[in-house]
Amino acid sequence: MQDAVLAMLAKEPSHGYGLRARLRQSLGPLGESMNPGQIYVTLARLEKAGLVVSERADGLPERPDRKIYALTPAGQQRVAAWLAEVGWPKPDLAEFHLKLVAASAARLADPVELVGAQRRELLRRLREAQHAILAEAAESKAVLLLEGVVLRLQADLRWLEACEQAWSRGADAFDRAWGEGEAGAQGGAKARGGAAAWDGVEGRFKAGGGRGDDRVEGV
Amino acid sequence: MLLLAVTVATATLAMGLSLRGASDALYVQTRAATAGPDVVALSGDTGRAVTSALTGLADDPEVVAHHGPYQIVYADLTTRGSATSPVVVHGFDERPAAINRPLLTSGRWIRPGGTVLERGFATELGVKVGDRVTIEGRAYPVLGIAVTAATSIYPWAAQIGPGGGPSNYTGLAWMTRADARELAAAHDLPVTTAIDLKLKDPGATEAFREAHRFPAPRVNLHSWQFNAEQDARILRNSEPILIVGSWLLAFLAITGVAALATGRALEQTRRAGLLKAVGATPALIATVLLTEYLTLALAGEALGLAIARLAMPALASPTASRIGDLGGPGTGTVIATTVLALVVAVLSALRPTLRALRTATVTALSAAAHQPRRRPWLTALSALLPTPLLLGLRLTARHPGRAVLQAGSIATTVFAIATLLALFAEPVRGYGLNGSPALPNLRDAHDRRLLLAVTALLIVLALVNAITFTWTMAIEARTNVAIARALGATPGQVTAGLSAAQLLPAVPGAALGVLLHLGLRWLLTAGNAADAPVPWLLGAALATVLATAALTALPARLAARRPVARTLSAEAT
Amino acid sequence: MSESSAVIQVRGLVKEHGQGESRVRAVDEVDLEVPQGEMLAVMGPSGCGKSTLLHLLGGLERPTRGEVWVAGRRIDGLSERALARLRRRSVGFVFQAFHLVEELSAAENVELPALLAGGSPRQARRRAGVLLERVGLAARARHLPSQLSGGQRQRVAIARALVNEPLVVLADEPTGNLDSAASLEVLRIFEELRAAGQTLVIVTHDERVAAGADRLISMRDGMFVDDTRLAGATPRGLGDLLNLDG
Repeated sequence: MQDAVLAMLAKEPSHGYGLRARLRQSLGPLGESMNPGQIYVTLARLEKAGLVVSERADGLPERPDRKIYALTPAGQQRVAAWLAEVGWPKPDLAEFHLKLVAASAARLADPVELVGAQRRELLRRLREAQHAILAEAAESKAVLLLEGVVLRLQADLRWLEACEQAWSRGADAFDRAWGEGEAGAQGGAKARGGAAAWDGVEGRFKAGGGRGDDRVEGV
Repeated sequence: MLLLAVTVATATLAMGLSLRGASDALYVQTRAATAGPDVVALSGDTGRAVTSALTGLADDPEVVAHHGPYQIVYADLTTRGSATSPVVVHGFDERPAAINRPLLTSGRWIRPGGTVLERGFATELGVKVGDRVTIEGRAYPVLGIAVTAATSIYPWAAQIGPGGGPSNYTGLAWMTRADARELAAAHDLPVTTAIDLKLKDPGATEAFREAHRFPAPRVNLHSWQFNAEQDARILRNSEPILIVGSWLLAFLAITGVAALATGRALEQTRRAGLLKAVGATPALIATVLLTEYLTLALAGEALGLAIARLAMPALASPTASRIGDLGGPGTGTVIATTVLALVVAVLSALRPTLRALRTATVTALSAAAHQPRRRPWLTALSALLPTPLLLGLRLTARHPGRAVLQAGSIATTVFAIATLLALFAEPVRGYGLNGSPALPNLRDAHDRRLLLAVTALLIVLALVNAITFTWTMAIEARTNVAIARALGATPGQVTAGLSAAQLLPAVPGAALGVLLHLGLRWLLTAGNAADAPVPWLLGAALATVLATAALTALPARLAARRPVARTLSAEAT
Repeated sequence: MSESSAVIQVRGLVKEHGQGESRVRAVDEVDLEVPQGEMLAVMGPSGCGKSTLLHLLGGLERPTRGEVWVAGRRIDGLSERALARLRRRSVGFVFQAFHLVEELSAAENVELPALLAGGSPRQARRRAGVLLERVGLAARARHLPSQLSGGQRQRVAIARALVNEPLVVLADEPTGNLDSAASLEVLRIFEELRAAGQTLVIVTHDERVAAGADRLISMRDGMFVDDTRLAGATPRGLGDLLNLDG
């Protein structure tokens, strides 16, 4: 956020409220959730760090939102560095993955159920983003941002689908691998126990599908 | 399909082409077997002058042997089945002569009071050895059946009419000289005197005839070449029937096979693309694609020639007046049929091959059907029609080329049927007494049988074509049919649509066939031949169209009932 | 859900393909009710039987067992002819491969079902014009399908599905052959239809299409394994989608 605000000042010095308006315009509906005060907090931090300077606009009462902010040379360097940077936010999948593994191993919860719940949640988010896109004018730049959100959600949903398939079909294998990794020679016994536990999963399918006596194996 | 079509067409063409040669071959063989004379001198006049004139011929230095003179009596012959026919009775010696020695095919040679009948005549009368025939009121036992090369085949045995005038359809019988003389005298019958001559040079008959021109008495000199030519007269119509028939059959073969080929074009285009992708040159691809058709066509040709050879004896010799075997088809015939087979193969394969070659490799591999052309006026017109016709018209519009082929196929069929009808509508002059139909007119009967056979073949081929057309169309249109079904077209509507798509070209095709027939008859006969009654023609055209509709309904129905979901899913992947 | 408001009802539906050993259950004892005005998405891996389900609902295939009711009428025993009539009146199909008639222009494709249903050509043409306008292709009415992009073709197909004002539109992977921009065009139209109260059943494995639905059924091995209402859940606010903290 700090970098983005700095970069917006690179064009010309600006009021806090002007910056906020430009941010909101770029973010589209996603910007609406932004805290109105957040921009001033950010600007104050930047000023403290010596990256921006502020001066009061002439002839106006002294109010924080009437200050005009401008970049310092250090601020300009920081903007250049930011633009050159190729870092990318890392998706945090490990946490969810470990959640499934742990839930399965300790038999705390059915991993397939967890995946399902997560999937429903992501679908709802996707739905919101999607509706936001459809509500936006086609030429709005915010559509691109929303499109990015949608594509990431789609990627996550596909991963969840893979998770679901792996956990519902290959539960034994997963469990065995886990058991062997943990206790070596005792793995065989554990696997048998695991297989018994997974009847519970089948049971869930039976409940969900109504009937399920002759399920067709393999797809 | 290609095999069948080429077989039929080449067989017909081969028979047509070798017909004349076959007739000649049979005459030559009969001539050799019966010591046929090189020249027969005949005179319808009577008196001593005639006899001396004829015997005088035998003294010519060119003549190496002779037989006769002998008497030819014009009489009427009645069988026990009471068929009556004019007959000429040749008065012969009881001992066979050096020349003109009729070859007995059954029974024995003449004795006093008995007669021997010429085989073509006997066959036509249905008379066998041991039967009795009545000649001018007197019964004679039939002692034998024989063939001769001295006269033309039945029914042209008379050579010249009574008194040297024109002759009727006449059969031939032999009796002893005495019996013949007695027959003529008892009933005061017209008599011709004849002598058979053998020349030093059998080829010089024309020169011999030139050298002997009699102002009086009138003597006709008939060469063996003349007889041979006269023999072929019975085949006068057979030849054009067969040759034109083979053209028509070849045309049908091409249309049918072309339809089949376009149906397979997609697959072929893909194959060509595959070949291209692995680096085959266009020439190689064309060879590969053509080879398949050529192989089939040549196999069909061989089969056709074999059939022609088997059918030839019956065709070339409708009467039983000649003996002998026919060899295989001549070189000329083989060349002609090969050309026909090649033309059929190339024409059938040309379009798909060219298209396969022209399509870019990548397009071919991802092969979608060719870019359809659009005919806005047709679509606009079809929007006004009931649904089945609408579907039909749109399917027809999809393949205008095929519609033309289909129309051509129907036109050909109707044309052949119309010709057949016209021939059957013509009054027939039978071979019996005064044109009595008690004895059928062999030539007409032969023509009719032949035309019937050719027409039947044409009809079969046309039917096969109609089914092929519908089936190819149904296969090509299967996506569109499935779409229409998914959009709510009933199977009935789709069936009707596919059938209508066949009928649309069939109707103008039938009309064209009738017009072609009428036009041709008007041109050829200037209106003096009997025309088939118009209702017959219209009926034939209508029947053809209806038969097409009925035939196409079956594949169309099968196509319409194909499961929609599967077709659409198959297309999607 | 009262019986009368359900456009589609399915009870104990079974569809088996093949014979003997190779017999496969594509749809296995499924119960379903689609109320009027609902947009239902069915998701699942390929081969899970979702397309077969759609074909069964539209009468393109016949069930091995079970009942299918469309608009209060049982259709699993109807003749082909009656099914055809049902399709032309009550059902509109949209396919993954578009399945437009290549010989006909966009407008003519849209008209076709209306003509098949016995509508007057003039009326059909007018209705086609209105629908093409609605999917944003009025200017392309005279183009052949081959002259249109994938997204445009699919929009023509949607217009065609709508021409007889069907009770329900059945769509089979409508975005399966489209890139994301073209998918969006199609999604926009589906959203408009949903807002207008059109009943829609969409089989898909495109999460975006599924997310646009009111209700999502997940299918696996011919059975429903999940049935989620997506519509009406408390919105969390879009801010939740991004990390905008400073």
